[in-house]
Amino acid sequence: MGKEDREVRMSLQTLKVLEAFLENPTDQLSGAEVHQRCKLASGTLYPILLRLEAAGWFVSRWESINPSSAGRPRRRLYRLTPTGLKRASEVFASFNRGVLA
Amino acid sequence: MTSERMVDWTDKAACCLVQHAARRTPEPLSARLEEEWLADLAQRRSGFSRLRLGIGCYWATYSIAREQRVATVALARSQLAHTSVAGFTSENATLFSRRTVTFLLVASLHAAVLLGLAVGVGSKFIKKTPTEFVVDHIDKPLPPPIVLPTPPTPDWNTTQIILPEPDVKLTIEPDAPPVGGEVKETPPETQSGTGPSLPPAVTINRVQGGPGIGFPSAHDFYPPSAIRREEQGIATVSACVDVRGRLTSDPKIIHSTGSQRLDEGALTLAVAGSGHYRATTENGKPVDSCYAFRIRFDLKN
Repeated sequence: MGKEDREVRMSLQTLKVLEAFLENPTDQLSGAEVHQRCKLASGTLYPILLRLEAAGWFVSRWESINPSSAGRPRRRLYRLTPTGLKRASEVFASFNRGVLA
Repeated sequence: MTSERMVDWTDKAACCLVQHAARRTPEPLSARLEEEWLADLAQRRSGFSRLRLGIGCYWATYSIAREQRVATVALARSQLAHTSVAGFTSENATLFSRRTVTFLLVASLHAAVLLGLAVGVGSKFIKKTPTEFVVDHIDKPLPPPIVLPTPPTPDWNTTQIILPEPDVKLTIEPDAPPVGGEVKETPPETQSGTGPSLPPAVTINRVQGGPGIGFPSAHDFYPPSAIRREEQGIATVSACVDVRGRLTSDPKIIHSTGSQRLDEGALTLAVAGSGHYRATTENGKPVDSCYAFRIRFDLKN
């Protein structure tokens, strides 16, 4: 999957995922943590994560731990890219445009 | 113990679902997704939540596989970036859904067919169709023609003449009796009638003659003096004719018209028609005979 900046089809589930990351844009979240924040089913969540990563909005890496010493498998952590942060902010700004606070 | 067994069962089922689902994804992602999903599975606390995760991962493979196919098509078309359509494709990969791809395939198929027709592939097929029809003659004998029997033409002039019984009775004497022998008188044959037996009647088919083909017209022998006097009438003339239709004696007036001039004209006509009479026939054979016929003098004709 390419890492270029690409248009992403926005849906309510996609917005929930982005909202979970925008709470603290520097956080690195695993799929299980995103599930706990946005309460999306795994059948919906993981395709969205892969789609945003392919669009260049997210980057992912393996957790840097020793699974044997930690006693659990390493997790895949997702993080917003600067491009993803900018595009997600624009998306939410467009939703708030014209709305009185 | 029962709850622990249930947890073990759901853990195993969820683990199997996750592994099986990860293997259904495209190859570059299958190993990564298996490890990622198993790590997330370990973070789930309840067995039911793990089972839901396994089912969800299985469901996610369909979406991931579909999007991966779309991305592959978009990548293949992005290689044709020098064309405007390919450039649009690379920038709007999501627009080329399965429906769009199908439409493009159908359009390209139509274009190929039209191109083939324009180039002349169709004309080659048309040339193969026969333009001339060859008729094979079958050497089979025709059935014999059906010949209908011609009905006999009725002869309305046929008359049957029944000859009278002969008045002469012939008595045939018996032969002399044999010498030295007794003569036995055979009793006469008794017949059921009062008189002796009669010979069978002889029937002769006789056709009476008359004016035949080429006989002159009465108009040509209408006496001019009778025409001036406007005399009309019918004369009955008797004529004797041989087998060749010629007169054997002078004709005679049997019934006069009442005008001497017309009667003379009728006799002149009868004489002029010699050789054009139709001879009388008996059983189909012409015979000499005398018969009468009528000649009409009518000014209206």
